[in-house]
Amino acid sequence: MTETVIQTSNLFMPTILIPLLPLLGFIINGLFGKKLGHASGWIATTMLLASFACSLFLFFNLPAGGSETVVLSNWFYFKDIFIPFAFLIDPLTITMLLVVTGIGSLIHLYSIGYMHDDEGFSRFFTYLNLFVFFMLILVMGNNYLMMFIGWEGVGLCSYLLIGFWFKNQAYNDAAKKAFIMNRIGDLGFLVGMFMMLFHFKTLNYDQVAIGALNLGIGNITIVGITLALFIGAMGKSAQLPLYTWLPDAMAGPTPVSALIHAATMVTAGIYMIARSNILYSLAPHTLDVILIVGTATSIFAAIIGLLQNDIKKVLAYSTVSQLGLMFAALGMGAFESGMFHVVTHAFFKALLFLGAGSVIHALSGEQDMRRMGGLGKYIKITFATFLIGTVAISGIPPFAGFFSKDEILATAFEHNKIIWGLLSFSSMLTAFYMFRLLYLTFSTSFRGTDEVKHHIHESPIVMTLPLMILAVCSIVVGFIGLPPVLSHTHSFKTYLSSVFAQSKTIMPAGHEMSHSMEWILIGTAVGLALVSIAFAYNKYVMQKQTPVEDEQLSGLSKVVANKFYIDEIYNAVFVKPVMLLSDLFLVIIDKLIIDLLVHAVAFITSQVGRLLRLFQSGHVGFYMFAMVIGMIVLLVAQVFDVLGFFESLYTHK
Amino acid sequence: MNVSVDYIAIFIQFLVGFGFVATTMVATHYLGPKRKTADKLASFECGIDSQGNARLPFSIKYFLTAILFVMFDVEVIFMYPWAVNFKELGSTGFIEMLLFIGTLLIGFAYIIKRGALKWE
Amino acid sequence: MNTLIYTACLGLFGLLAEIFNLRKYLIPILVLGLAVIFSLNLQTWNNPQTHFNGMLSDSNFSTAFSGLALFIMLIILILSGDFYTSTDDEKHISDYMAILMFTLCGALMMFSFSNMAMLFLGIETLSISLYVMAGSRRFEVKSNEAGFKYFLMGSFASAFLLFGIALVFGVTGTFSIDGIGNYMRMHADKLDPLFIVGMLLMIFAMLFKVSAAPFHFWAPDVYEGAPSLITALMSTLVKIAAFAAFYRLLSTCFVFALGKAEIVLTVSCAATLLVGNLVALVQDNFKRLLAYSGISHAGYMLLAIISLQGRTDSALFLYSVGYAVASLAAFAIAITVFKATGTESISGFNGLAKKNPLLAASLTMAMLSLAGIPPFAGFFGKYFIFSEAFRNGWQNMVFVAIISSIIGVFYYMKVIVAMYSKPANEFEIKPTFAYQMVIAVCLIISIVLGLYPGVFTKLL
Repeated sequence: MTETVIQTSNLFMPTILIPLLPLLGFIINGLFGKKLGHASGWIATTMLLASFACSLFLFFNLPAGGSETVVLSNWFYFKDIFIPFAFLIDPLTITMLLVVTGIGSLIHLYSIGYMHDDEGFSRFFTYLNLFVFFMLILVMGNNYLMMFIGWEGVGLCSYLLIGFWFKNQAYNDAAKKAFIMNRIGDLGFLVGMFMMLFHFKTLNYDQVAIGALNLGIGNITIVGITLALFIGAMGKSAQLPLYTWLPDAMAGPTPVSALIHAATMVTAGIYMIARSNILYSLAPHTLDVILIVGTATSIFAAIIGLLQNDIKKVLAYSTVSQLGLMFAALGMGAFESGMFHVVTHAFFKALLFLGAGSVIHALSGEQDMRRMGGLGKYIKITFATFLIGTVAISGIPPFAGFFSKDEILATAFEHNKIIWGLLSFSSMLTAFYMFRLLYLTFSTSFRGTDEVKHHIHESPIVMTLPLMILAVCSIVVGFIGLPPVLSHTHSFKTYLSSVFAQSKTIMPAGHEMSHSMEWILIGTAVGLALVSIAFAYNKYVMQKQTPVEDEQLSGLSKVVANKFYIDEIYNAVFVKPVMLLSDLFLVIIDKLIIDLLVHAVAFITSQVGRLLRLFQSGHVGFYMFAMVIGMIVLLVAQVFDVLGFFESLYTHK
Repeated sequence: MNVSVDYIAIFIQFLVGFGFVATTMVATHYLGPKRKTADKLASFECGIDSQGNARLPFSIKYFLTAILFVMFDVEVIFMYPWAVNFKELGSTGFIEMLLFIGTLLIGFAYIIKRGALKWE
Repeated sequence: MNTLIYTACLGLFGLLAEIFNLRKYLIPILVLGLAVIFSLNLQTWNNPQTHFNGMLSDSNFSTAFSGLALFIMLIILILSGDFYTSTDDEKHISDYMAILMFTLCGALMMFSFSNMAMLFLGIETLSISLYVMAGSRRFEVKSNEAGFKYFLMGSFASAFLLFGIALVFGVTGTFSIDGIGNYMRMHADKLDPLFIVGMLLMIFAMLFKVSAAPFHFWAPDVYEGAPSLITALMSTLVKIAAFAAFYRLLSTCFVFALGKAEIVLTVSCAATLLVGNLVALVQDNFKRLLAYSGISHAGYMLLAIISLQGRTDSALFLYSVGYAVASLAAFAIAITVFKATGTESISGFNGLAKKNPLLAASLTMAMLSLAGIPPFAGFFGKYFIFSEAFRNGWQNMVFVAIISSIIGVFYYMKVIVAMYSKPANEFEIKPTFAYQMVIAVCLIISIVLGLYPGVFTKLL
C-alpha cells in the first residue's frame, strides 16, 4: 500500500518481541488477572524473562559498532513531516534493554514473594508489565516522538504504582505530586520536540543530528532545544529543582521503588541526553548547565540523606544524589561514563532497594531505622547482600560502584578541580550515610517492639534469589569498565564507542592522564570513603548512637532533616498563589463570564434547532414543496448569480 | 442567437394550438344553451343508476397479477431484436439469451412458489 | 464487473433458496459468498478495465468503494441473523436477502458506472430495493409510511435526475461520462445554458440521494420508520454509494463546469451542516438522532466533494470507512437495546453503563468516533477533509464545518450522558454473539484507522 519497509533481517523478530511480550503479559493479566490469581505473577515474570532472552540475542547478534533500524510501519505523514514507527537497535539501546529486562525480570520475580499477600496482586503485575512495555518503547524508538510516548507511559505507570495502595490518601497525594512534577518536565520535552520539528522537520535521531551538525557549534537553536530537553530530563530523573517527587514516590511498594525509581525510569533522562549526545556536544553552554545542576543535586541530596530515618527515604535521596553524579558526567561530555554509572547503579541500587524491601518484609512493614537494629543475626542473606550493595555504592574496589564512580571523578579532575572536589565530597557523604543505614539496620541490638521482633524472618527464596544474583552482579559488573591503570581495554567504552564517535570529533578530547596521577585519585577516593565508613562505625556501632526523635532536633540538623523545607517553600511560592489565582478566576471569569456565555450559546442553538424542527412536519406534500422551492432558489441563485455578494464569503478568492 | 430563430416556427405552432383550444372552450361556454336536470348531472354508468361509492377496496391480487403480467410481457421486447439478429449473434447470443430467460425463469418459479398467482 | 455479476448471482441464489426450501442455509451461504467476492474484488486492484462497451469501468476508486460496500453488506447480513426472528420475518427471509443483494448490485454499479444509463440504473436498483426494504415490516404503520414516503420522494428526485441526463444528452449527444467530459473540455469557456441546467438538475437529484439540505426532509422520517437494520444499511451503504457516485460524476464529467455549480454546492453544504447538527440537538429518538447525524455527515462529505480541486478521493474514502464502522457499531448496539427495552428513545440507554459497562463503553467509542474525537477513525476522516478543503481555499466552509462539528459533540454526548449518569431501567441488555463480534470488529477497525490513518491516506 504505502512505502512501508519491513526489514527482513534476522533481528526483526526478536526486536519486535522485546516490547510485545510485556505488552502481551499486560493484556493477559489485565483481562484475566482476577481469575489467574497468583499465576499472573509468574506470567508477567516469564514474559519479561523471554524479553530478556531476546535482548541477549540482539546483544550477541548485532555486529560490533553496528546499528539497525527496524521499521514497523509509517506511522503518519503530516505535510512534509514523516514519523515512522520504528525501532533503533544500537549498542546504547541494547545496554538499556539488558538493564531494563534483566533487572526487571529479577524484580518481577522478587515481587511474587513481596506482594504475595496483597489483594491487588494481579493488578500489580499488570501495571508492572505495562511499565516495562513503555520503558522499552522509550529506549527502543528511533525518534523523539516514540521516546515521548514511552516517557509519558512510564510516567503514567509510575503514577499508578506509587498510588498502588490507593486507600491511603497520603500515597495518592504522593502519586499526584510525582505526576504533576513530571508534567513540568514534560512541557520542556514537548517544547524541545516542537523546536526540532520546526527547525529540522523531523524527529528521527539521526536526521535531527544531521540537521544540528549543519547549524554548527553553539548555535542558539541547539542550545534552546537541548535546554528544553534537559528540563524534561530534570523532571524524569529528579534533578534540582524538580526532585522532590522522588522521595515521596517511596509510597509505592518497594519493588516499584527498585524498578522504576532506582534502576530504570529515573535514568530515562540520562538515556535521553546520551541519545542526543551530538546535539549536546554542539551546545557547550547547555553542558555547563547540566554539570552545575548535576553537581548541585548530588551534594544537596547527599546532605539531606545524612539525616533521614526512613530506610527507603535514605535510598531515595541516595538515588537523587547518584543521578546528579551521572548528570555531572554527562555535563563534562563523558557520555560513556554516565551510561556506565547508570548500569552499575542499576544493579546495586536495585539490590539495596530489594534488600530494604526484605527488611521491611521481615519487620512487618516497619520502615523507620530507629526501630530496627541488630537484624544481621536474623536475616543473614539479606544482610550479606545488603552489605555488598552498600560497599558497592560507597565506591570501595573491586565492587561495581567504584569503577564507574572513579571514572567520573577522574574526568572531573581533568575538567575542573572544583567540580572534582564537590563530587568527591558528595561521594564521601554517600559512603557515610549508606553505612549509617547499614549499621542502624543490621548492627547492635534490636530497638523495636517485642512483637515485631518475634516475627522477624528471612524472606522466601523467590525474594532472596534475586538479591543474591544482584549481589553477584554488583561485584562483577564493574569489570566491564576497568580504569586505564589496570587495563588497556575498557570494554564498555569500546562497546558504546560507535554511538558517541561523532560527539568525540566535535568535542576536544582531554589528554591522557598519567598513571601516577590516576593512582593518587583512586587512593584519595577510596581513602575518603574509608574515613567516612570508619566515622559511621565509630558513631553508630562503637558508641551505639541512634538518631533522635523528630521533635528533639534543633538548629541546622532540623533544617536538614526537614529536607531544607523545600516542599514547604514550593508550597508557599508556587502552590498557594496559584490556588488563590484560580479561586479568583473561578468566581469572576468562569462563573460570571464564561458560564453566562456558554449558557446563552447553548440556549440559542437549541432554540434554533427547535425552530428548524418545525419544518419536519411529516407531510410528503410539504416536503416536496420545500424541495422544489429550495431547488428554484438554488437554481436562480446559481444561474443569475444573485449570491454574488455572498459568494466572496463562501468561495476562495 | 440562431437557436431562437429556429424555434420561432414551433413557438407559433404552440401559440396556434393553445389559442385554438382556449378560444373554442371559452366560446362554447358562452354560446351553448344551458338546461340542467337531475338526470343530466348524475354520473353516467352504462345507462343504469349508479350504486354506492366508486372508491371501493378491491383485491390487491388484481394489481399484483397485472404487474407480473407487464413484467413478463416486456421481456418479449428483448427477444424481437435478438430473433432478427439470431444468425449474426451466433452461439454467444444464444447462450446470453438462455441466461436471460433462465434468470427470468427463476423469478417465475419464485413467484409460483411464493403463491403470488394463487387467487385464494 | 465480476464483482457485480457474482453479487447478482447471490441475489438469484436467494430466490432459488426460496424455491428449494434452503432458507435455513441462506444467510451463512450468502455471508460466505460475500466474503469470497470481497477477496475476488481485490483482484481488480491496479487493473483498470472497461466492460460492456464502455458501460462500466473498474478503477482503484471503484475497487476500494466496492470493497467497503461488500464489507458493510457482510456486516448487515451477520446482524440480520438475529434481527429477523419473528415468524413473519422467517417466512420472508429469502425475499429480504435477495433484495439486499440487489441493493448491493445497485451500489456496485454506482461505483463503476461510466455511462449515464448505468448511473441511473444503479441508483434505481438501489432505491427500488430500498423502498421495499423500508416498508418490509408490513404490519407496522410507521414502516409502511417510511416505505411509501421514500418511494414518493425518491421517484420525484429520480425524475429530476432523468430530466437532467436528458438535457445533458441533448447538448452533448452522448451518455458516456468520458464523452461528456470531452465536450466540456472543449466548450469550457462557453457552455450551453441548457447543459448547465441539466447538470444542476442532476446535482439536485444527487443531493437528494445523499440527503443534503434542502432535500433532506425524507431522511429522518424514513430512517425512523424503517426497520432498524435497514436504517443501518441506509445510513451507511446507501449514503456512501450515493457519495461515491456523486464524486465520480463530478470528478469525471462535470469537473470543468464546477464553477457553475459552486453556489449550489456551497450553500447546500453549509445548510446541511447546520440543519443536521442543529436539529439533531433536540431529538429524543435514537434513530432520528442518527438520521440527523447522518445528514450532518453528508455535509462533511459534501465538503470533500466541493474541494475537488485537490485529490480528495482518499479523504472521502477514509471518511466513509470511519463513518461506516462507527455507524454499524452504533446500530448494532442500538438494535440490541431497542430489542431489550422495546423503545427507540434515548431514554432506553439510561444507565446502560451500570448494567453492561462493556456495551456502554463500546457505544461511547462509536459516538466519539462519529463526533470526530481522536484516537478514532472519525477524527482523521474529518481532519483530512478539513485540511484538504482548507488547502484548496475553502477556509470559510471549513469554519462552518468546525462550528457545526462542535455543536455535533453535544448530541453525541447526550447518549453518553444517558448511559453513564441516568438511573438504570430494569431491562437486561446483552448482545448476542454475532452482535458482539460485529461491534468488536467495527471498533477495532475504527481504532486501528485512528492510530494508523496512513493505511488509507495514500491509498487512492
